Amino acid sequence: MAQRIPDADVLLALMGAPHTSDMLTSAVRLAQALLERGATVHLWTCGHATGIAKAALGATKPRNLENWAHGYPSTLALAERLLDAFPEQLTWYSCRFCTEERGSVPLADRIKLRPPFKFAEHVAAARTTLFLGVI
Amino acid sequence: MADQTERTDREDGPGRRLLVIERAYRGALETQFADVLYLARELNRQLGGVDVLLRGLAVTFAAADTRPAPSVRVGHDTLDTLPSPRDSVRSLLEHGAGVYVDAADLAHFEAGPGWLQPGVRRAGGPDAPGPDWSAYRDVFFV
Repeated sequence: MAQRIPDADVLLALMGAPHTSDMLTSAVRLAQALLERGATVHLWTCGHATGIAKAALGATKPRNLENWAHGYPSTLALAERLLDAFPEQLTWYSCRFCTEERGSVPLADRIKLRPPFKFAEHVAAARTTLFLGVI
Repeated sequence: MADQTERTDREDGPGRRLLVIERAYRGALETQFADVLYLARELNRQLGGVDVLLRGLAVTFAAADTRPAPSVRVGHDTLDTLPSPRDSVRSLLEHGAGVYVDAADLAHFEAGPGWLQPGVRRAGGPDAPGPDWSAYRDVFFV
């Protein structure tokens, strides 16, 4: 059955890896600011950005040798914090092709896998699309 | 293997390594404490001493002023464990690493006296030629 894409104020299409620049940081800051103002936001991840929310990351990063007792949240935990805080406003999609190609399966349960050839439907569902980074 | 003696470069002989860091802003949310300077501290410990040359935007790692503390709001929480390169440079200096900054790149920030942390050296110009690459055992771009 065809999935209906809900409307959104902004679609943030994240293409780049989370470690090559601060694009992810900027995207999260932007999403947070939009969500705090009541906007509806769709996130779409492609390429290595799909790895942000892969289940294998667990809740925390590996330990810090210089601060052994401190827990540092994984990007998965940060993604879940965002989804927990704005369950009605934020929807997170991930490109099925990229998710499989980059070994990011399985993702967190709340991330919705979508075929890449449906991307245009997501663009059509959003009033504004911001395309961030390159695969 | 159990019967092999663990090798370290400290036993192999003298010679420091030079680490050249040219890129800043490498994904703060994912990286947090495990940034390039965390690697530099570990290389300094394992390889018997390193010096660091900061270029490009990475020269800001050596700024003295650590304000504002880097943090970002995520959901209902504030994440305050983002990379803190200025604190990390201070830690590197305390652990015996030499830290140089490229003077030409520093000039983009109009960095006056007191802008750099104590102990950080400017590299560039006739009075401050910077590290002699040929004197190092290795030069690593990290």
